[in-house]
Amino acid sequence: MQRSHLKRLTMFVAPVIAGAVLYSCRTTAPTLTTGDAPSKVYVAPGQYDEFYAFMSGGYNGQVSVYGLPSGRMLKLIPVFSQHAENGWGYNEESKPMFQTSHGFIPWDDTHHAELSQTNGIPDGRWLFINGNNTPRVARIDLTRFETEEILELPNAAGGHAAPFTTPNTKYIVSATRFSVPIPNADVPIADYKKSFKGTISFIRADVPGQMDVAFQILMPGFNYDLGHSGKGPSDGWFFFTSYNSEQAYTKLEANASKNDKDFVAAVHYAKAEECVAAGKAKPFPSKYAHNFVDEKSRIAKSEMKTSVLMLDPKDCPGLVYYLPTPKSPHGVDIDPTGEYIVAGGKLASVIPVHSFSKMIKAIADKAFETEIEGIPVLKYDAVIAGEVQKPGLGPLHTEFDGKGYAYTSMFISSEIVKWKLGTWEVVDRVPTYYSIGHLMIPGGDSKQPFGKYVVAMNKITKDRYLPTGAELTQSAQLYDISGDKMKLLLDFPTIGEPHYAQALPASIIKDKQVKFFSLKDNANPYVARSEAETGIKRSGKRVDVRMIAIRSHFAPDNIEGVQQGDTVYFHVTNIEQDWDILHGFAVMGAENAELIMQPGETRTLRWIPKNANIYPFYCTDFCSALHQEMQGYVRVSPANKIVALSATISKKSQSQLDRMKAAQGGTR
Amino acid sequence: MKTLARAPRILLASAALLLGVMYAAPLWSIHLIAPQYPEGLGLLIRLNTITGVKEHDLESINGLNHYIGMRPILPSAIPELRYMPWIVAVLIVAGLLASVVGRRRLLVAWVVAVAATSVAGMYDFWRWGYDYGHNLDANQAIIVVPGMSYQPPLIGSKQLLNFHATSMPHLGAIAGGLAFLLGVVAIYLAYRGNARHRSAAGVLATAAIACAAPVHAIAFGVESCAECRMLVSDSRFGAQLVTKTGKTITFDSIACLHAYMVRTGATGETWVVDARHPGTLIAEKSAQILADSATHPPMGNLYAVAR
Repeated sequence: MQRSHLKRLTMFVAPVIAGAVLYSCRTTAPTLTTGDAPSKVYVAPGQYDEFYAFMSGGYNGQVSVYGLPSGRMLKLIPVFSQHAENGWGYNEESKPMFQTSHGFIPWDDTHHAELSQTNGIPDGRWLFINGNNTPRVARIDLTRFETEEILELPNAAGGHAAPFTTPNTKYIVSATRFSVPIPNADVPIADYKKSFKGTISFIRADVPGQMDVAFQILMPGFNYDLGHSGKGPSDGWFFFTSYNSEQAYTKLEANASKNDKDFVAAVHYAKAEECVAAGKAKPFPSKYAHNFVDEKSRIAKSEMKTSVLMLDPKDCPGLVYYLPTPKSPHGVDIDPTGEYIVAGGKLASVIPVHSFSKMIKAIADKAFETEIEGIPVLKYDAVIAGEVQKPGLGPLHTEFDGKGYAYTSMFISSEIVKWKLGTWEVVDRVPTYYSIGHLMIPGGDSKQPFGKYVVAMNKITKDRYLPTGAELTQSAQLYDISGDKMKLLLDFPTIGEPHYAQALPASIIKDKQVKFFSLKDNANPYVARSEAETGIKRSGKRVDVRMIAIRSHFAPDNIEGVQQGDTVYFHVTNIEQDWDILHGFAVMGAENAELIMQPGETRTLRWIPKNANIYPFYCTDFCSALHQEMQGYVRVSPANKIVALSATISKKSQSQLDRMKAAQGGTR
Repeated sequence: MKTLARAPRILLASAALLLGVMYAAPLWSIHLIAPQYPEGLGLLIRLNTITGVKEHDLESINGLNHYIGMRPILPSAIPELRYMPWIVAVLIVAGLLASVVGRRRLLVAWVVAVAATSVAGMYDFWRWGYDYGHNLDANQAIIVVPGMSYQPPLIGSKQLLNFHATSMPHLGAIAGGLAFLLGVVAIYLAYRGNARHRSAAGVLATAAIACAAPVHAIAFGVESCAECRMLVSDSRFGAQLVTKTGKTITFDSIACLHAYMVRTGATGETWVVDARHPGTLIAEKSAQILADSATHPPMGNLYAVAR
């Protein structure tokens, strides 16, 4: 009887357990063990990171600087977006940097950070960054970590394939992600195939303050996505991916994904130089802005240019060839030897690798499949060196370690895949968190990669950090690539949305940093180098106040005689000549940002007071023990009430000065 | 005609009432996990509708499915979801009536009807899955992998591109299965006086339990090969060894499975993926092993197809 009960019980219980077991055996996200990772990313207090990493800020329009391997953020460099934090784009000196043929544009979308090179190796002179939305390229000086020059690109839309450099930074390039009518005009969108064209701009970039479009190449109306320069044997060539060879103009996600193969465009720019020299490029009326910071005055100037040289490949045979490449290629990356051209087809099931030497032979043999608008399309089999089989899903970008291996980011399967150049075999793969876009090895696109680490820059963050509402920080991972297998070392949050990044050993630029600007060389017309040079001046409705800031006062700090209807310019010079002693300046009610003055620098705040009132101003950068005393007042009177202009030092500041003098050298 | 004793009547009535769980709990669940969806997405198949596990999962899944050209899953377009509540209602009422009437044959008829309805329901569910997973709009598809279809298995797991799909019965189906088993026990009790009938009932009960045996599945893109340590990512290949102690060891290829067995001396049941039905494991002894490097299996050139 007992047994029979048991049997019955078994019959009831067994299926329930089976069901529960089945129900519970779902996979969960893997957790990680890191082994000796903590010691590899730990930078002891007071010690420095080994690498500077420069990451584009994506839709924040800026560049951010991180130390590797710690992943600590060191600086945000404002570029295309106004930055109220230090007055970039708000103060009078930097406003001209935002000028374009469309007017003042307060924002852009930065994608690709590119270090200048000498002989194909990052040299730490400059960092270039592109603005994708209103096509522009910017030069950042790496002794000051400041944006020094911005060039707008005419006849372009979506400056995505930018600002990749040639091996000696003679040129940087920018190619169009959108094709548009050139010259741009009011045409039916349905006339896409007839009217829309792409352009590739070669920008002369080796002389600061003189960036300009050397020439533009008029291309078929595809989307040009990314680019990389040849090097070594392929020096003189530039390679661009192009998708949407379907020439779709609506619902591109499906309509531009139909062709089995799109292209890598191989541009022989050495040939272009010959054709330009031979007068084959035509002057093409084009309006575009060139903005640059004058080194002496540190005031930006903006000039509007009116023409570029446009080169049609039909007029310059041998200038461009198309290499068929599977399925909407995104990244195109050239290995350190300059022989292999690796393209990542977003939807491709293999990573195709073209051979430069085979390409040259195919051109000589005229191994052409067809021709598009005068551009020969080479035969796939004649140029392909190999295919990496089953790399994963969604290959995008490839970097190199200089030891014969390539590392490709896989967006859909969310991993980095390491494979061997020449044998094309996959040797390792690691997951990324989550959906990696670009990846970066220090010097990983150069002739001599510095190697050591690869950084994954991901598009999805989800559960990696403490959650912060619906909008999360972006996520990066650092992997050690010094051994055979990649090892995850660190997760670190990044700001904006980094697309590409570049890194170089800190030693290349660390000791070249500007610590302050020489007051004696300050050529700002409103500079005040000492209290004696300060003052106030009225010209009609304009009032200019020359002011100095030094620990811990402004001079003047009592200003009277300003009237309603005036426009006031505060020209504030930080007369400190000491490292890391910055001052700020902010006025109550100003419809503007603050000023931050680096040591030795003059910055100007424009202010239109509305009411007859007393307006206080103060220093915003905690500069000294008496920072809270660093303040002043402006008296604004009605327009019809005449008050004598005066700019004085208050008794309080005077007594403070006296105290400092009495203390012989003063206190900070 | 035999009338039923009290115990089988109670069991039958309980079984009929147990079917009521189907109105409250989902019948089946499909869970999807991808690298970029660590929290997962899921579908719950209910008697009268299909919902997401989380509020917007169904919309998210439909959004993702557009990449492969799968048409959106719309509960309103599946007429079975309108009939099913009525069919189950009829089964409940019939079961209760049969319990009151107390005829042995009615009990058998009811259990057979429950079994037939379940089989038909699962077949229909599979057919819809097949239809969604295979009839893809090539014109709308963005990612086209030749030969790839996107049907999750009825029970078990399969790698569908970057998604690992796991389909399992949920409480509603488990309650249905339990109702069926209660019916089987009722039949057993009703017929146990008769040796001939008893063995038949025994067979039925054993078969019912066997239906719930666990299945083998490789978590593609998650598990790594026990031999070469690489991620098992291609659902056309892969193999498993179930050792004598019941441990399951996963490999990315048949070559690795054999290399492992030779290296470690391990023995047991060997399972291989049928390359024609990605993700489906079949016993190696019922498979035909082929060699062809052009198919690009990882590690070596061996792959399997069902004989």
